[in-house]
Amino acid sequence: MKKIYFTFLSVAFSILVMQAQRSISGKVSDADGNPLIGVNVSEEGTNSGTITDLDGKFAMNVSENASLVFSYLGYQTQTIVVGDQSNLIVTLAEGIALAEVVITALGIKREASTLTYAQQTVDGDELTLARDVNFLNSLSGKAAGVEIQKSSGGAGGSTRVVLRGDKSLSGNSEPLFVIDGIPMANNKGSQAGMWGGVDGGDGMSQLNPDDIESISILKGSNAAALYGSQGANGVVLITTKQGKSGKATVSVSSGVTFENRLIKPELQYKYGSENGTKESWSKTPGNYDDTFVDDFFQTGRNLLNTVSISGGTDRTQAYFSYGNVSARGIVDQHTYNRNNLTFKQSTKLFNDRLTIGSSVILTAEKTNNRPRAGYYDNPLTGLYMFPRDRNFEDFKNNYSVVNPNTNLAGQNWFVIDHHQSNPYWLLNNEPQLHENKRMIGSVTLDYKLSEKLSLSARGNYDYADKVSERQQAAGGNTTTVHRNGSWSYSKFNDELTYTDAILSYNDNFGNFSLGVIAGTSYQKTVFGKGISVPGNAQFGLLYANEFFFQNIGTNVPVNSDLASRLVKQAVFSNATLGYKDMFYVDVSGRNDWASSLAGTGNESYFYPSFGATAILSKLINLPDIITFAKVRFSNSRVGNEVPFNVVDPENTIAASGGVNRNLQKPFRDLRPEIITSNEIGTNWRFLDDKLGIDFTYYNTVSTDQFIRLPAPSGSGFSTYFVNAGKIVNEGFEIVLDMTPIYTPNFLWKTSFNFWSNRNEIVETHPDLGPISTGASEGYLSRFEEGGSIGDIYVFKFQRDEQDRIMLDEATSRPLKTADAEFAGNLNPVWSLGWNNSLQFGKFGVNFIVNGKFGGLVFSQTESMLDEAGASLRTADARDAGGESVNAVKGGTPVSSVDAETWYRQVGGRNGIGENYLYDRTNVRLTQANLSYQTAFGNVPVTFSVVGQNLFFLYVKAPFDPELAMNTTRDSNSLDNFNLPTTRTIGFNVNVKF
Amino acid sequence: MRKITILNILCVLTLLVGCTKNFEELNTNPYQISGESLRQNNQHVGAFFPQMLNNIFGDQVDHNLANEAFVRHLGTPTPFTSNINNTTYFIRWNGNWGRVYNNVFAPARSVIEVAEAEGSVEFASWAKLLRILAASELNARHGPIIYSEYGSTNKTINYDSEADLFNTWFSELDDIVAGLSANKGFTGLAAFDASYGGNISSWIKFANSLRLRLAMRVSKVNPALAKTQGEKAIADPGGLIMTNSENFMILNYDGFFRPARICFGWGDTRMSATMESVLGGYKDPRVAKYFEPATDPAVYASHPDFPYKGIHAASVLVAKDDRLSYSTISNTFNNNGYPRRRCFTSSETHFLLAEAALRNWAGAGTAQEHYETGVREGFAEWGAGGVDEYLQNDTNLPLDYTDPKAQNNDNAFVSRIKVTVKWDEAADKEVKLERIMTQKWIAAVHNTVEIWVDHRRTGYPKLPYNFKNDSDATWGIVARDDFLRRMPFVNGERNNNPEGVADATAKLGGPDEIGTRLWWDTGGPNF
Repeated sequence: MKKIYFTFLSVAFSILVMQAQRSISGKVSDADGNPLIGVNVSEEGTNSGTITDLDGKFAMNVSENASLVFSYLGYQTQTIVVGDQSNLIVTLAEGIALAEVVITALGIKREASTLTYAQQTVDGDELTLARDVNFLNSLSGKAAGVEIQKSSGGAGGSTRVVLRGDKSLSGNSEPLFVIDGIPMANNKGSQAGMWGGVDGGDGMSQLNPDDIESISILKGSNAAALYGSQGANGVVLITTKQGKSGKATVSVSSGVTFENRLIKPELQYKYGSENGTKESWSKTPGNYDDTFVDDFFQTGRNLLNTVSISGGTDRTQAYFSYGNVSARGIVDQHTYNRNNLTFKQSTKLFNDRLTIGSSVILTAEKTNNRPRAGYYDNPLTGLYMFPRDRNFEDFKNNYSVVNPNTNLAGQNWFVIDHHQSNPYWLLNNEPQLHENKRMIGSVTLDYKLSEKLSLSARGNYDYADKVSERQQAAGGNTTTVHRNGSWSYSKFNDELTYTDAILSYNDNFGNFSLGVIAGTSYQKTVFGKGISVPGNAQFGLLYANEFFFQNIGTNVPVNSDLASRLVKQAVFSNATLGYKDMFYVDVSGRNDWASSLAGTGNESYFYPSFGATAILSKLINLPDIITFAKVRFSNSRVGNEVPFNVVDPENTIAASGGVNRNLQKPFRDLRPEIITSNEIGTNWRFLDDKLGIDFTYYNTVSTDQFIRLPAPSGSGFSTYFVNAGKIVNEGFEIVLDMTPIYTPNFLWKTSFNFWSNRNEIVETHPDLGPISTGASEGYLSRFEEGGSIGDIYVFKFQRDEQDRIMLDEATSRPLKTADAEFAGNLNPVWSLGWNNSLQFGKFGVNFIVNGKFGGLVFSQTESMLDEAGASLRTADARDAGGESVNAVKGGTPVSSVDAETWYRQVGGRNGIGENYLYDRTNVRLTQANLSYQTAFGNVPVTFSVVGQNLFFLYVKAPFDPELAMNTTRDSNSLDNFNLPTTRTIGFNVNVKF
Repeated sequence: MRKITILNILCVLTLLVGCTKNFEELNTNPYQISGESLRQNNQHVGAFFPQMLNNIFGDQVDHNLANEAFVRHLGTPTPFTSNINNTTYFIRWNGNWGRVYNNVFAPARSVIEVAEAEGSVEFASWAKLLRILAASELNARHGPIIYSEYGSTNKTINYDSEADLFNTWFSELDDIVAGLSANKGFTGLAAFDASYGGNISSWIKFANSLRLRLAMRVSKVNPALAKTQGEKAIADPGGLIMTNSENFMILNYDGFFRPARICFGWGDTRMSATMESVLGGYKDPRVAKYFEPATDPAVYASHPDFPYKGIHAASVLVAKDDRLSYSTISNTFNNNGYPRRRCFTSSETHFLLAEAALRNWAGAGTAQEHYETGVREGFAEWGAGGVDEYLQNDTNLPLDYTDPKAQNNDNAFVSRIKVTVKWDEAADKEVKLERIMTQKWIAAVHNTVEIWVDHRRTGYPKLPYNFKNDSDATWGIVARDDFLRRMPFVNGERNNNPEGVADATAKLGGPDEIGTRLWWDTGGPNF
């Protein structure tokens, strides 16, 4: 170990020594000799740079063997090797950087102008500005059509990402995540539900954001056709940083951020309980403690540090980084720790014909006591609903009491209630651990057979070891904890093996250009293979409070688990034909063989895609104001395989002994799902590239959906599957970017991402009516022809023809509809992301404003707090002598109803949900960052103040509508004692030397 | 070099296409048990019995918030779903149907199919017997059910009318008893039979007793059939369950007694007000075996010598905590201290025989003899003393009930039961029947489906009406001085098998509502 340190130090030292500096000056002008003002001059591979003055002149210090890069809007970027020169005269040619190269499917690089579909690139630097622990959250608002929702699990929690709407009735509509061309596993752990539970994190949250060079988002299946079914929901391509030839650079980034609650439920502390009930429904005001809820929360703190070293020669480059995140949540005992180690190298051999690249990413992640959502074992239920007249301090200080007869500790709480426990008992006596270790190793071989033909082969192995454990001490809530304590434990592996081989050929024939790739891939995934032991009131321990296998009760099953095992093989090909750099035509096809369709005769399936683009600005003469214009169209079909083991499942062994008969009807004529997409778009650039607009319209039709249905009782099975249904997602995306101010001292770039998606379930199954996708507390979701995914149904008030709420004649309680009725959809109607980057000399400001417009959210928290008389509105209603209503009772108008009568009926577990629906519309300052660049000696340093989720410009809901109870399809935008959303403010320092 | 590489790729491609052979194996879950593996040790037929037995009884919404409340054995302190729910005659939960079809019918079908193909009469008969038991409990809830068309691949699956169901069951019982009687020496059931250890003779006794129970069910609607079948049950040489040692008990496969979890784990059930009224009034010693004293003496202040307090099963409730101090079920049920569930006990046989005697079925013996033996068997089963004194009491009557936690005298009732314990041979048949039914009701603790049938069929015991009755047009209206008559057909069937449900409703002979009487609940005179 000492040796390694020594080597590291000596490398660092030699780098510093190498940096002999000298000064250079020069002048930049256009082709006519006019000086160019504000040209960006930077030394390649470093942070140092300057801007030309009013005479087009510049001066700066550079290192030996430096290359300078001159870039200017509307002109072609030029790179000049300085050599011995001390005064440079530079002439920039007009024209814009059309040759922008982007990463597309399988890691293939293409010129952006030749693409036949929508694609957006997000720079890695933008993702780390806000210092979010999970970089996916930083994608919010960065690209049109990308919906991001955080779970309420805090640091290390999962994120829901959906591109262009939900496409599947059977579940997941999340995109494929790809690192350096190779698919990676983004398995989600457990999810919280209305009844409780905890977010188990996901695969992406384990990556170190500082390792990301850029993210390319392929939104439609058109772009992703080469990934086959996995790409049906779009692809997020992550390109990681790699070593650069030239002098070695060490980069250190160090940040600390602090978190506090941004929106909290409005509670009352004025009225206590009566007769010892657990609800606070007294009508006599008292002087009660109003701080115990606030005191429960603490300031969260995240420390984020990364050090990376990059360098190499012309033949060999290497990149190494180590990152650490150490976080403490806003609730005591919640901690998150992550260590990332990345090593990546690339070497050229055999006269540069062969390039061998390899990379290893190691992650160790440990989360203690990630906050839970839902009713059970959630400290927030007991905290928020605690009767105001009782002494919370006493329960806080004495959360555990020992029974002298049994010498066994138990929780001290004023009531036995399945919904609530002593919050401090839960924090301290029911520890929960999530521990993940992950290794992603890959090797890439590229062999140039000739100038035109090359072959690449890749292999990747992604292995994760996941432990999840919860130790619930004896004496906890009897609904969830066994009298001797309960132990839930699971340990399993996720494994993904991927290999491919791709032959590519590029050639020009006169006016035509041709690029062809042909390849084959093999992918095997084995997910959730391991062992688990359930722990709850039924399954407990033999002896109190010892949490290991020898001590589990005799009735507790020890399960061998396998969530999924799937092999997919494919051959694919893509050809791009260009004519005079004006027209491009794309044709691709892929054939998949999927093991989950074994025995159906449909294991093998083929799907084609087609696209074309015309660059109008080259085709016809356009006014000078237009620098670039193109139109594009594409059409694709993608087949989606079905889940593991549904064709012919076997019987299972029951926990209680015996064998449980398989109740799923075998499905031997199963077919793959088909998603057909059409997309048209156009891209225009104006005013020397200072203004650009990209417009896309898409229409995605998902058919032959794999749907699970309840079997008729008489069929002998409880469920069966069909291929049926049709879902249409249709929408548009507009990306508008501008550079309103471009002067040497002040630069302002701004962009708008604007998108809207409309989802319609055109048909479900010919024989069936609505398909329930979840009935839970207070709300229902279901699929119905003509409806949309995310439709929500709630109980409403019964109203008369004058829209007055009808009251029960005897009790004055508001009457509720017999059935849950359609209320709306959880998804926003349209979304906006407004990104800004301003540069004033050495100061920089970045900020993002995100808006969601339309859609509904639902809060079971508010409903429960109302029933318990704990919300502020129940106190206000009592102050006012009753709830003001527009109601009618037996024909007589009523304007006020007793607060308790009203809220006990309206609120609660199955209250009148209509009252707890809120407009999802919200606009917020998602991110802001102020930075200052300076140098200590020759070492450039950037200081920044970072902020996230700073404040709402507009919000109607009493909680953050973008913070999800869980990140599954049907429960986003629901709040059931979610941990409140947080505001993050912090500091960051970047040093490069 | 170049050629070799291209060749390599072609090889890979060829391999790929030829490589889908192991796909079936890949797509199989290694942690499920294969049909082939099950062939060992008769598991392919036997291993499904624990699942079937474990689902004869349901859980909270299946029983506790259904028949346990309808027959007033247990009451909930919890104002579920705004205090408007099954117990107040507004249906919220109707889930037992799915439990029975998925966990009894589905495995029984496989077992019967395989066992019959292999000529294994014992396993086939056993599965059919449990299927009749489960089906007859579904009939008690819904009336017509899916039986003969079960397993059909038709889109519409028709229900059997109740008349057909009983004919089918009686004829199946003929085959079962014959099949088992011819194979009394078979020991192969033992590995899967936690109830009788594989003793075929015991299962014959249960089959005969079940026939007697079902015969009594149809005693008013088809007296001739009832008499024939009842007499057949009595006369069968295999005998009936006559003593507690022959009781049919089902193991708590989950490792706990389900009502105990509802009571102690969730705090969702307590002694009923009617139990307080009846046991307190009769000074029944079994109360200490069934229930715990209330923890707050204030709640039983009206009868301090009887420290128990119950909840009226259809109460106006405000907060759950209000009545948590009322009597729980006995602590002995907690922590699996009572590791079994009563399914058919000797007391029930004797009360059936007592009624059979009133109906002049041959071989039934005298009503008094079986009435008293039924009570004695009940006492003996729980180890309660004082039965002689109890049987002689001709003065004690059930108490009236008040709810100390309620406002405005809510939930109170005046007991309608006017019979005492002591048998009166001079009384008329109605009084005798009421006496039998009242004692049958007390003895049927934690096994209440059949007394719910009896209550609808005979009107006895004279239980208090719902204090809170939220029935409305949604599920049908039950008059304030009447009782819920059935559970509706389930929503899943209404959605997935609408024509089958329409046909079933026609067979029901009335709307698919909770007030519609079932076939054997004629509403006519008892004799």
